[in-house]
Amino acid sequence: MKKNIFLYAMIALATIILLFLTVPLLNMIFGNDLKVLLDALKQKDVVGSIYLTMKVSFFGMLFVLITGLPLAYVIARYNFFGRSLIEALTDIPIMIPHTAAGIALLMIFGRGSISKGFEALGITFVDTEMGVMVAMMFLSSTFLINGAKEGFKKVDVKLEKVARTLGANPLQVFLRISIPNARKDIINGALMMWGRGLGEFGAVVMIAYHPMVAPVLIYDRFTSYGLSYSAPVATLMVILSIFVFLSVRFVNNRLK
Amino acid sequence: MKLFEVENLSYEIENFKLDNINFKVNQGEYFILLGQSGSGKTLLLESIAGFNNVTGKINFQGQDISEVVPEKRDIGFVYQDFALFPNLSVRDNITFSSKYKTIENPEQNLHDLADFLKLTSLLDRKIDKLSGGERQRVAIARALFSKPKILLLDEPLSAIDPTFRNSIMKFLKDIQRKYNLTIIHVTHNFREASYLADRIAIVMNGQIKQVGGVSEVLNNPKSIEVAKFLGFKNILPSSILLEDNDKMFSVDPNAIYISKNKLYKDYVFEGKLEESMGVLDHYKIFVKVGKEEFFAKILKRNYEGCYAHKGENIYIGFDKKDVSYI
Repeated sequence: MKKNIFLYAMIALATIILLFLTVPLLNMIFGNDLKVLLDALKQKDVVGSIYLTMKVSFFGMLFVLITGLPLAYVIARYNFFGRSLIEALTDIPIMIPHTAAGIALLMIFGRGSISKGFEALGITFVDTEMGVMVAMMFLSSTFLINGAKEGFKKVDVKLEKVARTLGANPLQVFLRISIPNARKDIINGALMMWGRGLGEFGAVVMIAYHPMVAPVLIYDRFTSYGLSYSAPVATLMVILSIFVFLSVRFVNNRLK
Repeated sequence: MKLFEVENLSYEIENFKLDNINFKVNQGEYFILLGQSGSGKTLLLESIAGFNNVTGKINFQGQDISEVVPEKRDIGFVYQDFALFPNLSVRDNITFSSKYKTIENPEQNLHDLADFLKLTSLLDRKIDKLSGGERQRVAIARALFSKPKILLLDEPLSAIDPTFRNSIMKFLKDIQRKYNLTIIHVTHNFREASYLADRIAIVMNGQIKQVGGVSEVLNNPKSIEVAKFLGFKNILPSSILLEDNDKMFSVDPNAIYISKNKLYKDYVFEGKLEESMGVLDHYKIFVKVGKEEFFAKILKRNYEGCYAHKGENIYIGFDKKDVSYI
């Protein structure tokens, strides 16, 4: 009996947090009139901003796949002076206020010599998709890097060594053995990063209010026209995110 | 014909050192590195394969390959846990090397290996659906498919169910003959070593203590530490045999006779029975002679007639032929 009391108490407490996490989203999804949602889907700015959000976050994720996988691999495989410092540095962006990160980015990419350098190449960040991408990337790349790092740690170094004896050079081993055997964690990390990017507001709004990504659009409609006008957009965004998230998770689990 | 030679090889990591290793391996030879775990055997194999920045030379057919990258060394490696690629099928594991180096007649090569190693029906399986023995055969096939000039085996039998060990040992000999392979095999198991090896090197604390033919090394250890490692008992000073040198000798506990009456053997000592422990079919008997202690194993049926109690005086004896000098 005592055991049961303990279990019931645990379940009761767990239910509180589960409800807290799900009720607002469920209420949002099922509390909206379907017709209002469909109407929102017909509005060009809504569809445009949702598409933009997904696209830019996806490109940010691709960029971090190319640059972050090598970083994750080096951290996972090699023991070197300063490794903990580098690990801490990659964690910092998820701990600082997003608006502060936005200010930091604005000071590098919005003015000064680095920004000038990019400008010479025809790349500007203030109020551009590029600006949205750097803001999303800055605050969410940690998820991909850490996921990949854990994945690479799980790949037995002996697999890589054997592959070398069989004629593959280090790059070939990385592409054919290390990445495929860590792919589950890499995909999960990438998904987390992409999902996190979809919701990025604080930093994006600092560097690029326009073009409007979905979170900015929701905020903009809320402050200008009120709740009823912004809720459908928010709902659509939530439904779409959940759908994409679940489907990639599903595919990834099947991959095993 | 000498194929491979390690000269003054040293390598240091954290608190371990491979220290000035020297040995030669002949073409077609089965060479065993015998040592306890932690003695540096695997590190030595990995150094030969090219994974460590060693000092010294690794000569292969007269050329120093110590600076050559692992993928250009043509050395096959089979790890203790086989290290099969989980993301690839059995077939893709075996033929992995064909993507990165030129393999003549890859299809025929795969067919022959799969046939000989009884893998034909497994080729399209996933790695996680294989038994331990099947994994081992895949790992060996994968290494052989790449046509290595020398094959390194790291404790290949330790992950195998003991009941299959004998057949796998025979199988290793068979593949060596069939493919005329030169093999360096690392183990801690004397039985494996004495059955498989043409020559043996004893590895202890990152050093090679003795190299030679199987019976030479296993029967005539050059030093006391090798003798102890090989399980020699009764390592005692020759002076008690009334010999005028400062060598040590050892006598097999099974070759020692004991009696309450005087024995007629080449060497006979009177001593005090310190301990007699009955174990299954024999007694382990410890007899103190002067300052030294002898250990003998006597079958129960041989001991019944001369049973002595702790503290009693007893004779022990053995013959010259059973004495080995260290």
